[in-house]
Amino acid sequence: MKPARFDYVRAESIAHAVEVLANAGGDGKVLAGGQSLMPMMNFRLVKPSVLVDINHIPGLDRIELGPGAVRLGALVRHRMTAQDLQVARHIPVLHHAMKHVAHLTVRNRGTFCGSVCHADPAAEMPMMTLLLDGTIHVASPHGTRTMAARDFLTGALTTALAADEMVTAVDLVPPAAGTGWGFEEFSRRHGDYALAAIAVLMERADGRVRNPRIAMMGIADTALRLTAVEAALAGREGRAHVFDEAAELIVASITPNTDLNASADYRRHLAGALARRALSQAWDRAGALSGGDTP
Amino acid sequence: MTAFDASVEMRPKLVGQRVKRTEDPRLLAGSGRYVDDMAPKGLLHVAVLRSDQPHARIRSIHVGEAFTVPGVVAIFDAHDLAGDIRPAIPASRMKGYYATPFRPLAEGKVRYVGEPVVAVVAESRYAAEDALERISIDYAPLPFAGAKEEAAAGDAPLLHEEAGTNVIIARTFARGDVDAAIAHAAVVVKGRFRMTRKTPMPMECRSYLAEWDRRREALTLHSSTNIPGIICDVLGACLDLPGHRVRVVAPDVGGSFGGKGSLNHEEMLVCVLARKLERPVKFIADRMEDLTAMSQAFDETVEAELAVDGAGHLLGLKADVIGDIGAYSIYPWTGALEPVQVVSFLPGPYRMEHYRGRVRGVLTPKPPTGPYRGVGRPTSTFAMERLMDMAARNLGLDPAEIRRRNLVTAEEFPYRTGSGIIWDRSAFQDCLQGVCALVDYPALLRQRDAAHAEGRWVGIGLASYAELTGIGSRIAVAPGMPINTGTETATLRIDATGAVTAAFGISSHGQGLETTLAQVVADELGCRMDDIEIQHGDSALVPMGTGTYASRSAVLGGGAATKAARVVKAKVLKAAAFLMDVAVEDLEAEGGIIRARSSNATITFRDVAHAVYAQMGCIPHAQREDLVASESYDPYLGTACASTHLAMVEIDPATYAVSVTRFAVAEDCGRIINPLIVDGQVHGAVAQGIGAALLEEVVHDDTGQLLTASLADYLVPIATTMPEIEILHVEAELPDTIGGFRGMGEGGTIGAPAAIANAVADALAPLGIEVDTLPVTPERLFRLVAAARNATSD
Repeated sequence: MKPARFDYVRAESIAHAVEVLANAGGDGKVLAGGQSLMPMMNFRLVKPSVLVDINHIPGLDRIELGPGAVRLGALVRHRMTAQDLQVARHIPVLHHAMKHVAHLTVRNRGTFCGSVCHADPAAEMPMMTLLLDGTIHVASPHGTRTMAARDFLTGALTTALAADEMVTAVDLVPPAAGTGWGFEEFSRRHGDYALAAIAVLMERADGRVRNPRIAMMGIADTALRLTAVEAALAGREGRAHVFDEAAELIVASITPNTDLNASADYRRHLAGALARRALSQAWDRAGALSGGDTP
Repeated sequence: MTAFDASVEMRPKLVGQRVKRTEDPRLLAGSGRYVDDMAPKGLLHVAVLRSDQPHARIRSIHVGEAFTVPGVVAIFDAHDLAGDIRPAIPASRMKGYYATPFRPLAEGKVRYVGEPVVAVVAESRYAAEDALERISIDYAPLPFAGAKEEAAAGDAPLLHEEAGTNVIIARTFARGDVDAAIAHAAVVVKGRFRMTRKTPMPMECRSYLAEWDRRREALTLHSSTNIPGIICDVLGACLDLPGHRVRVVAPDVGGSFGGKGSLNHEEMLVCVLARKLERPVKFIADRMEDLTAMSQAFDETVEAELAVDGAGHLLGLKADVIGDIGAYSIYPWTGALEPVQVVSFLPGPYRMEHYRGRVRGVLTPKPPTGPYRGVGRPTSTFAMERLMDMAARNLGLDPAEIRRRNLVTAEEFPYRTGSGIIWDRSAFQDCLQGVCALVDYPALLRQRDAAHAEGRWVGIGLASYAELTGIGSRIAVAPGMPINTGTETATLRIDATGAVTAAFGISSHGQGLETTLAQVVADELGCRMDDIEIQHGDSALVPMGTGTYASRSAVLGGGAATKAARVVKAKVLKAAAFLMDVAVEDLEAEGGIIRARSSNATITFRDVAHAVYAQMGCIPHAQREDLVASESYDPYLGTACASTHLAMVEIDPATYAVSVTRFAVAEDCGRIINPLIVDGQVHGAVAQGIGAALLEEVVHDDTGQLLTASLADYLVPIATTMPEIEILHVEAELPDTIGGFRGMGEGGTIGAPAAIANAVADALAPLGIEVDTLPVTPERLFRLVAAARNATSD
């Protein structure tokens, strides 16, 4: 379990990093936290010719609250996201989701942006980026561009990132004040990849659901934003049977895989059960925030 | 002997105290020394190309450009080693058994995915692995039967043609007339219980370093083994070397759980290569290699039927066990070790007249099964304890009550079970009562009933079992195996500085034996623990020692240590009596100081040692004796060790996750040498038992490929899986062993799976669900509940 031969370059700047990537002719890999990349290299599942270490590029390890967005730089570790007070205050659902991310040693090194780039269908960061209408900031030798999360995440472990590009930051849109959130994840052991997980945001007004947002993971090739369910739920009364219907809709709309830990049937069941819980949580929290508005 | 023991009893010092492990400072500070820490000059590294086929003829091997990789020194297949090493033969006197030859590299054909085929030797492991990618093997795939039931069929493709069958082990244990007992019983319960395949998963992967000494033409193998003596003897035979030119040293070893307790292909490989190349050769398994090719565990199906009378008394048990032993019978234990113990122990700690247990061990294209903490007993206890609960439910009896009515009582010892095991005095009944008292069982039942009334899935499970530990020469650890597992030797010496060295054939690999044996020696000799070094894990220390396995080392090692210490102490006191000019009967020793009771005059061990060794003529030559002794101990029958486990679980009806909310153990391990270490052994073993119950499962698919080749897929328990474990030590009348010790290192893995299975079944009792397969994963529970609901709605 030793990696194949590779060159290592310690990048001094973003420009330097993307230049090395461009010169690698599609064979380069960015090393940030390395928590997925290094095991894959040790298994020889990936054999980059050059590893571009961005850990020494200044300025990438910041979480910044800007107008309308929280920006997480390419070297923001999971532990920083988990402990960041602005994240806890403005995006409590993300703060909560971090409790499910892997184990301490992985959280100390692994990065938010790295996890988004790895695009594991059962990892929290891609799902949360979809939920929070994330924008991916990308640099290449030709300049910079941005992509919406839904365009960026194209399949299992695949993204729209070109070979000479690196992600420099992800912007997340904090939910409006008064938004309730729900989060449910199930894995065989705490910290493992999810068998299924769901994150929900919603506001409530006049006893009705407003601006629902629902994202899931572990139940498809990629994390999903369930826009059809959101549309069906928007404007409905916040009652248990409505959430049951939404959960049924989710169950009907997904086609999960069967793997070692879970059959498609069980995953479908799990998706429905977690959805029911997360939808009610979000509704209750929205109620608590808006004060006294009970259905 | 008892009189002598009584004198020890009167001045208890270190035995019985929570002494901190003396191993830990070095291990925690990173000063331990494992095989992979060793890098002798000229070291070469081996990487192994493994079979990707479950069963295939090797047509040809193409080395291609592998030799062009910088650093590659040599590449070997089985033909290249043909004249250099003989296969190991896991012999046994069992009737109808076939001993599959065991070689370093596959010869002619491969028999499981992961079997070593080609070895690359290089200046670094990186270079060796680079070379592996350039080697291709042309296989002619052969048909195979992956499932043990299919492999046992008469027309199944044969893994070892010479055997003429895949069923290389078949035995039956019987007493009385079980068919009549079943025919006339008030209640008969039955089930088909399956304990799936596990892997031992020690923290340190298998590690081997062989050094060939050209001057002495001698071999030293540094091995992460827990049976250095056995490995030394078999390597000597395979390599044609006398015992004084082979030495096997186990330095610090990071766990085994049985996985390092058998001969490994790679262990033979590094030895033959080191001799051939005349350079040190190292193989360090990576996690994938250990998960793929380390000896595995369990994998039996038990079809069993239990007959009970109207008052809940057991009448008879009938069982048919089929064990998947993998592609080879493992050296030295044979493939019989695991499945035969299932039928031996199946009658459990209960009084029951009629029994028939039939067992078959079947070759399949998977890694061999070998010893794993608990051997056979986790499966037998799972099946029997499930049947006990099913019978109790059928009769409307409480699970604790049916056990109370059937556990062998103190008056009945020694009790011979239907399979022929003799239970001698141990706290069978007391452990059941003890654990119930510990948790306030009636209150727990009320809690459960209240939860059921709320529709929650909460359950309580009990599991009682007994095992044989510290087994002496009366019974072989594995059936018919021609190796002496019944004795251990301790060699104890005091040198000229007064330092005490006690050397053993056992091989501690996490049990803390350096601490516990020092406690025993210190008490017996009357010196301080600091004065003692415990040496172990080296075949050269004693003439014959096999190692640490089968919960034997405290009993056998402790017994040998006690005997040797008594002899040396007598010599010390004799010399002291001469030096002090008092009668030897007047002397006592404590803390390294010898004192005359009559005068309070003292002399230290150090001064005595100096007088004996360094001061020529101080003691007249006719009276002078070296302060050394070598004694061996054979507990002959060994000891029974009893326990009852209790688990309380709650199942989440949305996710089908099982949480263990309470776990309690009452156990009798005789006189406790060190409660801190005993508690640690219980905690660790229960963790593994919880793993077996809820998480761990080695899965091979229909094409013979391993699906659980990483720790992302083979799930072991982690901190958040673990409940608080409550422990009650019950010390029944002590066994007839020196010191009154019983073995206890394996017990937790035996009781926990059954207790959790019973608790899960209890939680789902309102749905009429029985648990017959472990682990009870969310997926399995989902299916069980769905099936139960469909059945009721039909």
